[in-house]
Amino acid sequence: MGKLTIWIVFAVVLLVLPQIFDSVLSLSIFTQMTIAIVFALSYNMLLGQGGMLSFGHAVYFGLGGFLAVHAMMMIEFETLSFSITLIPLVGGVFGLLAALFIGSFSTHKAGTVFAMISLGIGELVAASSLILVSFFGGEAGVSGDRTYGPPFFGIDFAQDDHVYYLAAAWMFFAVLCMYLFTQTPAGRMANAVRDNPERAEFMGYSARRVRFISFAMAGFFAGIAGGIFAVNYEILTEENLNAATSGRVLLMAYIGGLGFFIGPIVGAVVLTLINSLLSNYTDLWMLYLGILFLLTVMFLPRGLTGLLMMHRVAWQLGRMRLLLLPYTLTAIPGAVFILGMIAMIEMSHAEDAEFVYLGLALAPAGYGSWALLLGVTAVAFFVLRRTLPRLREAWSQANTLPRQPRHEDGHP
Amino acid sequence: MIEVLIFATLNGLVTGLLLFMLASGLTLIFSMMGVLNFAHASFYMLGAYFAYSISLYTGFWPALIIAPLLVGVVGALVERYGLRRVHKSGHVAELVFTFGLAFLIEEAVQFFWGRSTMNYESPALLDFPLFTLFGQNFPAYKAFMIFISVSIFIGLYFVLTRTRIGIIIQAAITHPNPVANLGHNVPFIFMAVFGVGSGLAGLAGVIAGPVLTTFPGMAAVLGSIVFVIVVIGGLGSLAGALVASLLIGLLQSYAIASDVGMQDLLDLLGVSFAADHPLNDIWRLTLPQIAPIMPFLLLVLVLIFRPSGLLGKRES
Amino acid sequence: MSLLQLQNVCKSFGPTQIIRDVSLNIEQGEKHAIIGPNGAGKSTLFHLISGRYKVSSGGILFKGAPIHNLEPFQITRRGLARSFQVTNIFPLLSVFENIRCALLWSMGYKYSFWHFLSRQTALNERAEALLEEIGLFERRNIPAGELAYAEQRALELGIAIASGAEMILLDEPVAGMSHSEAKNAVALIRKVTEGRTLVMVEHDMNIVFDVADRITVLVYGEVIASDVPEKIRGNPRVQEAYLGETPHA
Repeated sequence: MGKLTIWIVFAVVLLVLPQIFDSVLSLSIFTQMTIAIVFALSYNMLLGQGGMLSFGHAVYFGLGGFLAVHAMMMIEFETLSFSITLIPLVGGVFGLLAALFIGSFSTHKAGTVFAMISLGIGELVAASSLILVSFFGGEAGVSGDRTYGPPFFGIDFAQDDHVYYLAAAWMFFAVLCMYLFTQTPAGRMANAVRDNPERAEFMGYSARRVRFISFAMAGFFAGIAGGIFAVNYEILTEENLNAATSGRVLLMAYIGGLGFFIGPIVGAVVLTLINSLLSNYTDLWMLYLGILFLLTVMFLPRGLTGLLMMHRVAWQLGRMRLLLLPYTLTAIPGAVFILGMIAMIEMSHAEDAEFVYLGLALAPAGYGSWALLLGVTAVAFFVLRRTLPRLREAWSQANTLPRQPRHEDGHP
Repeated sequence: MIEVLIFATLNGLVTGLLLFMLASGLTLIFSMMGVLNFAHASFYMLGAYFAYSISLYTGFWPALIIAPLLVGVVGALVERYGLRRVHKSGHVAELVFTFGLAFLIEEAVQFFWGRSTMNYESPALLDFPLFTLFGQNFPAYKAFMIFISVSIFIGLYFVLTRTRIGIIIQAAITHPNPVANLGHNVPFIFMAVFGVGSGLAGLAGVIAGPVLTTFPGMAAVLGSIVFVIVVIGGLGSLAGALVASLLIGLLQSYAIASDVGMQDLLDLLGVSFAADHPLNDIWRLTLPQIAPIMPFLLLVLVLIFRPSGLLGKRES
Repeated sequence: MSLLQLQNVCKSFGPTQIIRDVSLNIEQGEKHAIIGPNGAGKSTLFHLISGRYKVSSGGILFKGAPIHNLEPFQITRRGLARSFQVTNIFPLLSVFENIRCALLWSMGYKYSFWHFLSRQTALNERAEALLEEIGLFERRNIPAGELAYAEQRALELGIAIASGAEMILLDEPVAGMSHSEAKNAVALIRKVTEGRTLVMVEHDMNIVFDVADRITVLVYGEVIASDVPEKIRGNPRVQEAYLGETPHA
């Protein structure tokens, strides 16, 4: 499949998605995803592509967003007059300006120093935003209205699906630009500086300048994400530029996989789904997210995308079917084990006398339900331990290159 | 005026020493393992919660001993089964791991103890004013906090300078690699240092819980400030951590106690602005208002102008 | 005028003096070797010339202009490239990307984010030609970190020469190689430094006397001799430094 085909498929998917899943909830989730994707990809320009671990990336998202809301208010009060479709660009420009300023001193070093400066600036901006009430609106934030301004081909963005298409268009544009950036000299040198800043300097490049460019770009696209957010929610609060938002984007990029361009996209999609779907079912979803994140860092350093990409060799060798049965055999006890653990966690937190889980009526107060769950989970655990070696064996079998033909001919 | 100054100094000292208990453990861990542990303040929070739960059964004093030990064990386990695994993926992965751990511990605390503030109180034994000055009381418990912090500092100093393990640790701080070559069981030392550092943080939590309130956000409140301290003091420098802790503690305490603001400065300069001036938020800033952001301002300035920190010798 | 001039260069780390008052001229087109016992400061001297360390006192002039206060990237841009004793490549990037990155600055791309690398025909052809030259064309698509040691050394050399620098500093280019590998490497060095000025630090005397037109002997941070190979061979102080007891111990 050519690269152009991938982009066309991507565009078509974006166009068709809301036609297939047309509920209010799914539309809102899709819009959230577009914002998360742009934000996570912009973060990956720093961490994945440029080797800069930032704990304050929400600053550019938030500042871009706040300025976007202010621009929306100016349109509303007719101080400015331009189409609301350009609001994300306003966010981008201010994200860029903020990044140009902060990057001018923070990109001197990568590593821990950069991480600490980003943390300090993140805290500084978040705390200042609560003090500077007239611009940031204090705890309540600032809000605007996206329906003013000259209509865009007769659309006034009062409807949610219009907002989705606007967000998706900006997202497509931003993703394309960020992808193309990785294919330019500045983008490639960002990788080089990430891996070995010293050698890059002996090739004529200032490592600091290379980082600065990536940093400014990341600020620009984070600002675009903030601008899309502003159009969608019409409100920004301190929460959008504080440490929690900075942490969330790190989670997305990391869980998705830093080493791959599509990694953060995967992470953004998965986390948005967890965020909006899981939170309907349980109050403990943040706990599960924390566990998922730690497990990813420990066992999947290349993220979910890395997990998929691990199968490339087996796929190319045409041996995926060798893995099918072992995977199924492991997945069944694995799923039972995970579901059992979740059931116990949830039950320990259940407030009612009866607790319905997967159609099963459990009684948190009695010993019976606990014993049942404990038993099932323990059995699943032991079965899992039995099936894992087999999976490992199948894995190595599926991934070893075929032996040389002359050996396979057998003895002469 | 003088009583404000005295009490601000005392409170600053209490905060500063408390911060140092956290910062010292963090510095030790960083010096040994090169890991800036984001979850350090989470162990401090665990200390407070453990102590609260234990004190329900045994009262405060046994909890003072048991809770830090428990936290130390948790820390050692985290090092053994988590951090060590991530170590081979590099420093960024380690930092991200501890970041995730902080996130998870906060969620876990809410899972086990709920979101509300715990009714964790200082022991009745120390519930009296130690002295009264200008009609203001200084509680005995705060003096106890100072006593514990100073004892820990002296104990740590003694261990580091007078004992064999302390000399190994010091050697590891200055020359990380050769120590391994000398045949010491470095993984075990790492685990022990991580455990002890976490335990110290736990102890800080035990004694700070009753004063600074025990709630799920307490790690986040202190966490980034402790980070700021070890960076300002100079990564890997215990003396720097002490200076920075006291500096930040006193600075914040004075700022909160003072009632000066931009208005006073403007009056002094004879400048005034209209009541609807767009930058009025800035003209009306007061020192207590900006107290919480001062450590971060200091951090950014130090990192820009002196990346090795106040007393640090090496740049990270 | 000499291409590179070192004037009374000194370098200290704390109280320890590593380079003591080194003055040296290197002419255009010369193949110059710097030798000396371990710890003589040969690598330090390279780091000073290439800007990795700053001189404590003294001056370094390249093409007549002082470079001792410049950053490494500024020195590189003036036409002075170097390789490293410990292989210093981009292990995660492909071999091809390593070479292409090394070509970028000299081909004028600077920090461009408006050129697409895949469309730069001249750049990509030159990278491929260079890969042929250093014998890594077949291996161009694998991550550089997965190359064998001798191949990594060849890549190291390739990165150093890619910029088309007039002067090339090679820090122990054949260290750690087997005899036959070293032989190939020397042939490669000869080929790729044709018409350029070469300064190399090397321990293998056969190679030094084979390649160099002039040799400088550095002992305890001081130049004790700088001459054509035949004269160096017969120099009593050099023999003392290499064979006899050293007075400095």
